[in-house]
Amino acid sequence: MSKDKQNTSQAIGSGFKEQSVGDISDRQLARRLWRYMAPYKWTFLLCLLLLPLISGIQILQPYLLQVAIDDHLVPGKLEGMWWIFAAFAGTLVGRALVEFMQLYFMQHAGQRALYDLRTEVFAHVQRLSVSFFHKNPVGRLMTRMTTDVESLQEALSSGMITMLGDLFTLAAIVVVLLVLDWKLALVSFLVVPPLVGLTVLFRHFLRRAFRDIRVKIARLNAHLQESVTGMHIIQYFVRERVSTREYEDINVEYRTANVRSVRYDAMLYAVVETAGSVTVGAIIWYGSGQVLEGVVTLGVLVAFIEYMQKFFVPIRDLAQKYNLLQSAMASSERIFQLLDSTELLETSSDPVPVPAGALTIEFEDVWFAYNDEDWVLRGVSFCIEPGEKIAIVGRTGAGKTTIMNLLLRLHDVTRGTIRVNGQELRRFDLQQWRAHFSVVLQDSFLFRGSIGENIALGAQLASQQEIVQAAKAVSVHELIMRYDEGYAHEVKERGGNLSAGERQLIAFARALVHQPEVLLLDEATANVDTETEALIQQAQEVLMAQQTSVVIAHRLSTIRTSDRIFVMHRGELIEHGTHAQLLDQQGHYNKLYHLQYSAGSGA
Amino acid sequence: MPAPKTVTISRAQRRAHLWGYFTRYLWWFLGGAAALVVTNYLGLEIPAQLGRAVQLLKESEAAFGPATQSALLNIGLIIIALAIGAGVARIISRITIFNAGRFIEFDVRNELYAKLTALDPTFYNDFPTGEITSRVTNDVAYIRLLFAIGFLHIINTSLAYTIALQKMVAIDWSLTFYCLAPYPPMLFMMLLIIRALFDQTKIVQAKMAELSTKVQENLAGVAVVKTFNLQAREQARFDELGETYYQASMRLALLRGALTALTVLVAGTGTMIVLLVGSRRVVEGSLTLGEFVELNGYVVSLAFPTSAMGWVFSVWHRGQAGFDRLIDILYRDSALTAAATPQTLPQDAPIKGGIRLEGVRFGYGEEQVLRGIDLEIEPGSTVAIVGRTGSGKSTLIKLLARMYDPDEGRVLIDGVDVKALDLRALRSELGFVPQDPFLFSMTIGQNISFGVDAMAFDDSLEREVPREPLIPGSGDSRIMQAITVAGLAQDLDAFPEELETLVGERGITLSGGQKQRVTIARALLTNPRVLVLDDALSSVDTQTESVILDHLDALMRDRTSILITHRYNALARVDRIFVMEEGRLIEQGTHEQLMALGQVYAKMYEQQKLRESLEE
Repeated sequence: MSKDKQNTSQAIGSGFKEQSVGDISDRQLARRLWRYMAPYKWTFLLCLLLLPLISGIQILQPYLLQVAIDDHLVPGKLEGMWWIFAAFAGTLVGRALVEFMQLYFMQHAGQRALYDLRTEVFAHVQRLSVSFFHKNPVGRLMTRMTTDVESLQEALSSGMITMLGDLFTLAAIVVVLLVLDWKLALVSFLVVPPLVGLTVLFRHFLRRAFRDIRVKIARLNAHLQESVTGMHIIQYFVRERVSTREYEDINVEYRTANVRSVRYDAMLYAVVETAGSVTVGAIIWYGSGQVLEGVVTLGVLVAFIEYMQKFFVPIRDLAQKYNLLQSAMASSERIFQLLDSTELLETSSDPVPVPAGALTIEFEDVWFAYNDEDWVLRGVSFCIEPGEKIAIVGRTGAGKTTIMNLLLRLHDVTRGTIRVNGQELRRFDLQQWRAHFSVVLQDSFLFRGSIGENIALGAQLASQQEIVQAAKAVSVHELIMRYDEGYAHEVKERGGNLSAGERQLIAFARALVHQPEVLLLDEATANVDTETEALIQQAQEVLMAQQTSVVIAHRLSTIRTSDRIFVMHRGELIEHGTHAQLLDQQGHYNKLYHLQYSAGSGA
Repeated sequence: MPAPKTVTISRAQRRAHLWGYFTRYLWWFLGGAAALVVTNYLGLEIPAQLGRAVQLLKESEAAFGPATQSALLNIGLIIIALAIGAGVARIISRITIFNAGRFIEFDVRNELYAKLTALDPTFYNDFPTGEITSRVTNDVAYIRLLFAIGFLHIINTSLAYTIALQKMVAIDWSLTFYCLAPYPPMLFMMLLIIRALFDQTKIVQAKMAELSTKVQENLAGVAVVKTFNLQAREQARFDELGETYYQASMRLALLRGALTALTVLVAGTGTMIVLLVGSRRVVEGSLTLGEFVELNGYVVSLAFPTSAMGWVFSVWHRGQAGFDRLIDILYRDSALTAAATPQTLPQDAPIKGGIRLEGVRFGYGEEQVLRGIDLEIEPGSTVAIVGRTGSGKSTLIKLLARMYDPDEGRVLIDGVDVKALDLRALRSELGFVPQDPFLFSMTIGQNISFGVDAMAFDDSLEREVPREPLIPGSGDSRIMQAITVAGLAQDLDAFPEELETLVGERGITLSGGQKQRVTIARALLTNPRVLVLDDALSSVDTQTESVILDHLDALMRDRTSILITHRYNALARVDRIFVMEEGRLIEQGTHEQLMALGQVYAKMYEQQKLRESLEE
């Protein structure tokens, strides 16, 4: 039994869109890159000045050989040869030294420039508004900030300058040859036009092959990436072999493209090498006649041969470095695209200080949408008095979190206004405003570092005593002291080595240390054991005792003790009042209460 | 997150595996090596010819004649011929060896992909996607370089030295000895630098990793960073890490500079000694000028092969380290053992899809998810499994598809233990609509026929593509029938290219409900013995849901359907409802029976009704 032959032309990942690059011209990119290099222009200049030195030394060696042959070996006298030995040794040591310096300074300047660029990208990303992160996956941003910057390194710290060096050596050899013997030089250069022609031809094919390779590897990786993410689906539908065959077929295309590039690359490499040797033959062929006629000395002939062998290396290297530069340009374009993304919150050029003391926060017909007309909040109005305890309730997607985000000004309202003591929120300095809040999110995000640092987070002045005090207040002190290092206990990535309950309590302590005017709390629904649950509940009461608080409530105790409850439904504030008032209304809250909070359900 | 589980194999096994790739392309490598012999042999003949020419020229100063002239012309032509011959052999050597590298890369990639499709979910829980793709992408490239660059330069350098030294010794053995004398100390220093370079590279990579981790942490914690005003602190930390990375990079630059300088010295020292000792001997008359030029030619030719060895060293190390990381995939065993002599499911029964669970216990690691489940689903029935999030419903379904094996107890389909069946034969009889409506970035049509692809093209699978219509008497193609049954027909008209419309990455261009219905059509097309809808209609409005369920009733009459759902209008119509709580089956019966019982189900049902009324 044989089944149909599979057509793998449209496989997994065929809808994968590559990010478009090539919108910005190379000249513009180079100009922008230069901005990062400019602060180190003196170092770059130094490296630039070292280049002719290297070229000079390279040119000196065959010349010394020529002098040795003509003045000493042919006539057979050793006297006075010591300076040639000394000079030759000098060129060796000198070249080693200069190449060392050149590489080191180049790296220094390149790395510094990249450091600046990386810092700028990081700083830029810090300023981007939260909505940017909704649209751009973390993975992609990571690539911009690490891999792409890395691939610039080669270009910046070796590629560009050494390309100039290659050109320089090339020019210098041409001049020296013409000066030594212009006729012999012209004969030697006979090989150059066909060589350049071949190089250009091979490079053309190579570039096409490289472009093909890039497309194929992107397809191959897209297929792999999707297969790995959707492996369970592939396995449910027993498509393992079909998918493998698809992958193999793309892999064949990738291999074919590579084999093609290997062919041209090998030819390019060999042709350059061969050209050097062919020229040697040509020089012997033509030059020997000249020597015999006494026009050219033996030493000059030997020197010529050495020059010609050095002559072709830069031509080959130029071709290779050009490719390096191309991929660097693609990377820099992607980085600049990130730097050009301008999803920033509008900042007031002339910020008003946040009023000291009690804050009255007022939402006035606030509308909000992440995109277009997809309203998440529809005309919400309320006023929070200083010291009030507000609980927000509602189903998933009702707009509870959005209210918190708007309070913190993680987003700006789409329509309507938020006022604080009568002043528009937008007029405050962003950081100053946020400093009035302490926030405990559902996911208690912890940073790598010690537990103590995580509690003090951002409050640089918090003393050890205050930290311990806060931890004691939320009953996490004993839990922390169970670790050998206590407060110095290292938190792993995202707090992976702590339990959900511990993380939550540490987040509470953190909020307490900051002594905010307003506490924002998104109650976690995570499953914790009853003992921890009791601790958390107790800690939360301590936390809320002091200041204005806005809580997205899931706990019965929270809604019972809050001053007012806001009932959100589909982006609207449909009911508000105390628990008792709302229950009496027999409205939405009543139903919600019975569903979520009545004993024994605990959804 | 705990470090991914790693696999270790013996050194011998490791060597055998790598050696296996080499022997597979042995002839290519041997051919490449032969070409390298030719290219080095011909290329290193050029200095000899050059020496001859120079000597001829020197001697002809006294006696100049046409014989000399033609001899010189001949030499010129010989050199050109040698150069072309060497060049052609060079092309051949590079093409064969580099192609062998590309073919090995190709094989390793395929091997990895095939292995990945055979690994069970525990592997995918251990390794994040990025980790897997990075290994398959980067580490495979290192293995290619290990074979291609490593082999090419080791052979080339050895050959160049062997041939050149042989020729040099033939001319003047003591001068050759002097040329080699500085090598041992210099090579020793070079080795030291290379080792330091290698260690420093690791440090730089570690610093880079720290920098990346910081970026990742910062991006993941963006909300906390913003709300606690940590931007300045984060920037300071990042700058600090950037600074240490810079310092580490500069140390590396120092070592690289030292290596470059040393390479210049090593490569030039031969020339220096030939000049120093050779010129004395030329003047003394023990060495001719031609031989001097010839010797000089050899030492110049050896400069590049010498410096290439430093490169080989780093390629070697990276390749080995890369292969170690691939071992975690290549040598990982699937947790699911295959039956030695697989049984087959009974084919002739008019009504299929009976399921029985006997004392099934299961846990992911420590925590028990299923704590002793006994349950029986009649063939041809439609049942629902209900229970809170985390009660074990989805896990139960995964055991049915043998994504995991139970720790205790058995799962039987139509009387056969699923472990006794061929794994893929079993899965091909199940139609799964998972909770997460995962679609691939292919066209909608391809996504729908995803499940029958294996039946159509995979010879190793016995099942053929089902032919019986989904809607009796319909003139449409089966795929269009599946679309109709899944309630997707109207949506399809709205897509610009209908079935040919490309679904973006992870189905991003479709709405949640559309995605769910595509996944339903995908499962239906396979004519499954058991259809499983794992909360698969949650994003579809209740009216459409009813229509779809009506279609399914007719379609699945002779086979079994399992619904995991919260919607009560779906619950009222099924034959039997199983209620799960904390890994146990606590109630079962028809809707009426369970309502009459007035226990857990009845409460859940009331709540659900309330919940749905809130949505209106």
